[in-house]
Amino acid sequence: MNLWHIFTRGIIEENPYFILALSLCPGLAVTTSVLNGLTMGLTVWFVITSNNVVVSIIRKTINKKVRVPVYITCIATIVTCVQLFLQAFAPDLYKALGVYLDLVVVFAIILARAESVASKNGVVVSFLDGMGMGIGFTIAMVTISVVRELFGNGTLFGAAIFGPSYQPALILALPPGAFMLIGFMMAGLKMAIKAHEDKKLKGSEG
Amino acid sequence: MAEEQKSNLFKIALNLILTCLVSGCIIGCVFFITGPIASVKAEQMKQESMKSLVPDADKFDPVSGEKDTFVAEKGGKKIAYVIPSEPKGYGGPIKMLVAVTADGKVMDFTILEANETPGLGDNASKPPFRGQFKEKKLENLEVTKDKNDTKHIQAMTGATISSRAVTLGVKQAVEKAAQMGGN
Repeated sequence: MNLWHIFTRGIIEENPYFILALSLCPGLAVTTSVLNGLTMGLTVWFVITSNNVVVSIIRKTINKKVRVPVYITCIATIVTCVQLFLQAFAPDLYKALGVYLDLVVVFAIILARAESVASKNGVVVSFLDGMGMGIGFTIAMVTISVVRELFGNGTLFGAAIFGPSYQPALILALPPGAFMLIGFMMAGLKMAIKAHEDKKLKGSEG
Repeated sequence: MAEEQKSNLFKIALNLILTCLVSGCIIGCVFFITGPIASVKAEQMKQESMKSLVPDADKFDPVSGEKDTFVAEKGGKKIAYVIPSEPKGYGGPIKMLVAVTADGKVMDFTILEANETPGLGDNASKPPFRGQFKEKKLENLEVTKDKNDTKHIQAMTGATISSRAVTLGVKQAVEKAAQMGGN
């Protein structure tokens, strides 16, 4: 199998957020500021990669019947470690992410990758898949949070961009606005991918 | 057949026990390292938030019998109280610290933990709303929607419940300070 493709597919073609549409909840909840979105993205990146590696190592010793509880325990352990580290070294971020950090344990995307990739492939493939998916997820989080913070609050990384006269579009700071934004982004990305494929098709015909 | 099933069951149990054991050990080790750092950081943040509430104070003395309540002193003189308050907001309890001067006026407050709507009630700890509380006395701690009424507290647009909750929290703290001042 092409290792480069395994790594890159998570970024656009099979972007976990916009294309696979898994784990949408953090996109609504924590992306009100770029810093929160970025932290959430990096956390998921770390968790998904290390979990993929762990699962691919233990996949042969695990009894098929209990694999899901074992995977969940692995994910929970990694997430708890991340939480403890954030609490000790970045308490402000820890507070801002709140309950959504705990919820990383049950993010569908992480279990889905463990089940569909890591439990069937070796360490290298699982690692690359986790990296690609993690990057794709982080990019999604950051894109959404940049738009939301910029237009919903008039700031970027907490610094005012538009000046005091700017009236923030409150709807973007609220979950319904985020949902609409995500819908438009999904549609836009799908259109772009389709246009790209059509062009490829035409090119090969001509 | 029965034999096989038995060994299978044993294997499953072993699998789960081992996983939990390993996971417990890992978390234990990590906590062993980060635990002390986290508690130091938490204490530091608390001190800092009190310091930012009463910048003039050089010493914070805990009040005996009252949890998380402090008397701020400057040169041995009592200048303010720092009182915790926990009103019920739009998204659950709002944990806050309120600084009240020795003569019962609001100095400032800070929100430690809250689940208010980002972009709306969340703004309670930012200047336009927060700044209104300075120097306010007990009787002026009411929320109003009248833009010309500067005597009372102006509600935040779209977040009346959060505004009321925060104001109530400050009010309770001022009442408590008055009680303590009487002693």
